[in-house]
Parts: sequence; C-alpha cells; structure tokens
Amino acid sequence: MFILNPQSGTPIYRQLLEQARRLIASGKLAPGTPLPSVRELAVEHAVNPMTISKAYAMLETEGLLERNRGKPMTVAARPKPQSPLRDRLKQLDDEVEALVLAARQLQVTKRDVLELLDKKWGDTDDATGRQRTGA
Amino acid sequence: MTQPVVSAQALSKTFGAKRVLDGISAAAEPGDVIGVLGKNGAGKTTLLEILLGFGPPSAGSAEILGEASMRLSESAKARIGFVPQQDELLDILTGARQVNLTAAFHRRWDAALVARLAADWEVPLDRRIAKLSVGERQKLSLLLALGHHPELLVLDEPVASLDPIARRRFIAELVDSERGERRTVLFSTHIVSDLERAANKVWVLKDGTLAWAGELDALKESVVRLHIRARRSLPTDLRVPNALSSRVDGAHATVAAASWDSSQSAALAARLDADLEVESLGLEEIFVELHR
Repeated sequence: MFILNPQSGTPIYRQLLEQARRLIASGKLAPGTPLPSVRELAVEHAVNPMTISKAYAMLETEGLLERNRGKPMTVAARPKPQSPLRDRLKQLDDEVEALVLAARQLQVTKRDVLELLDKKWGDTDDATGRQRTGA
Repeated sequence: MTQPVVSAQALSKTFGAKRVLDGISAAAEPGDVIGVLGKNGAGKTTLLEILLGFGPPSAGSAEILGEASMRLSESAKARIGFVPQQDELLDILTGARQVNLTAAFHRRWDAALVARLAADWEVPLDRRIAKLSVGERQKLSLLLALGHHPELLVLDEPVASLDPIARRRFIAELVDSERGERRTVLFSTHIVSDLERAANKVWVLKDGTLAWAGELDALKESVVRLHIRARRSLPTDLRVPNALSSRVDGAHATVAAASWDSSQSAALAARLDADLEVESLGLEEIFVELHR
C-alpha cells in the first residue's frame, strides 16, 4: 500500500504521512478502508514500529484516520482539513519552490506556469473538490 | 518520568595516553532502538563494553536498568542479552549443544523461539560450530542472545558478516515487538542502511565524543545540503548558520548545515543574491558531512 524508502533523506514517518494524505485526498483510499496494522507494516518493510505509529497518530490527529477498538484503523468517514490554511499552504512550500526553480531553469515565464497550473487544476477539480469546499 | 534502561553520564575512558571516550552523556528509554554509528576506532565497542560493566570508566558513570554497570546484580544480568563483535561460541560443540549450554544459564528460556529462529535463519544446529561459516556463527550468536527474552539487547556489529537477506530477516525480528514487549536495543554498526530501518535514535560517535545523540527523524530533518548558485562570485566565508562544511567555487557553493529550518532559505537566498536548492540527506550522507 505504501512505498517506503529508509535510505531517503525524508524520514520514513513523513513518507508514510505524505503518501497517506495523497491517497486519501485523491479518493484512492476511500472512507472506511482498513489500514494495515503498525506491526504488519513494520515487519513488511523491516522498519521500526514506532516510526509507523508516529505517522498513524499524526494522521489521526489530522482527522484522516479513525482508531477502532480492537480493529484496524480506517480512513475517516469525512476527512476534514482541520489545520489552518496557513499551515496547509506551508506543506506545499517545498513543491512550489521546486516548481519555481525548475521553471526558471527551463526559462519558462511565470505567466506560462500559472496558465499550466490553471489547466491542471481544472483537470483534477473533481478529485479535490471535496477537500476544497471543506476549507 | 520513566527510568532510562541505559544511561551514561560524562563518561570518559583513556587507555594510556589515548582518550577513547570523552565526556559521553546519553540515555536509552524503554523501547528505544538505538544505532551507535562511528568510523572504525571511534570508540563504539569501548562505549558498549563500559555501559555493560566489562571495565570501569576513567571518569563519569554508567548505569543499566537502574544499577551501576560495574556492580550489576545477577537478576539485572539475566535481563540483558549481548552479542560481542568476536563470538564466544565453543568450536567443539554442535549448535544444538551450544544452545542447551546457554539455556542452562537462564531460568527463563524460550526453546520454541530459538527453534523457530534457527529454522527461519537457516542455522544448521546439528553441525559442529567449527564447521559453520562466519555468517552462520553470527546468526547462532544472535539467536542465543534472544532466547531468554532480554529487556535490553546490546549488539556489537551484529550483522557485519550477514548477507542482505539474512540482515533483513534479522531486522524484521528485531522490530517485531512480540506480545507487546518493550525491548530496548543498543547496536553498533557501520551499515547505515540497517540503522535507518531499525533505529528510532542514533548516537554518532566521533573521536570519542557524541557528534549527535537523538531521534533519527530529527537528524534527517535538521541536516541538509544547500546548493547555492549566485549571479556573481561568492565570498569564501558564507557565514551560513550551523554550517558543518562548505565548499565555495566561484558563483557556486555547497554547504551542509545542521538545525536547518526552511524559513531560513529565503533570507539566505536574498543575502547572497542567489538561487538556493535544499537537498535533504540520507543518513550515510549526513554521516559523511558530520565527519568533514
């Protein structure tokens, strides 16, 4: 379900966090879907279980996962972005910086990038619509 | 506050004129898996041995399970598992006899666990130890250290002779907290990729001191490599806060920095009038940067 690379400069818990957020936001992990247990993931990837539980706990705090007594955690029924817009924007910081840098290196103008962004946004509007209206 | 399973306070050790450990203070909390990382000769083995009470420190103190390392009670010793770098297996015995011998020293011995691990890890218990390969000896030593379900497991270069598959199996066993056990593990290694999987904390030993002791995640998040491309020549002294190393080559510079916070990027880029690319680093790269 997740692609974890322990050798990456991105900590494992953060890789898990980002992939889960993306899978849930895009609807690839539908509400009610059970997640593998901490132990299952830890053994499968041969990584420290504390790393996995740290990511799960953060996803629970964000309202994306639900803890169920004696059963696997599931994707929450109505994922709602609870953190302020400023914090959510901060999560995009690295990607935007990379985009700006790449655009400059390719000598693409800001206007062209915005146009492309606009087009892409339209393409994926359905998938992200729910999250945006929840904001 | 929970009592640390292992603690070192201002620990120093000198052999003759050589100072091998110099003022080490660190602790392992219950459930921690701590990777002790360092170059050859950085003092890893000495640190583990002093923590285990095999010899006295020259200064400072070491404690295990709340007892002074040099005066561990029998009951505390029974809660520890240790695999030394050089195994202490008896060549004339078969693996099975060695298992029985070790089991006899422990009141609590999980024969079923040892049998399962021997099968999983393909350790031929019927063969004489003299006939085993280095890797098989290492696997046998490891399963002997696990048989009494130690609360604290101390491993000195536990997997140096194992192939990637065997190492992977061992790590899976290490991280699999059976029956909710909160086992604490302290292992020295120079195989960084194993540490990145198994450890939640790292102690980086450098010239007998701790260059870093803390969460692996925090280390990865705080150490970055900055790639700076300016429009004109950069000064040789870039004055980047917490720089570990820097190389300036005309209008380009590469700087490794600790305690980096993404909010610093814009200010630095503006000050140097440069484009800044922030590269996050894997542990091996961080280790190299800490040693420049």
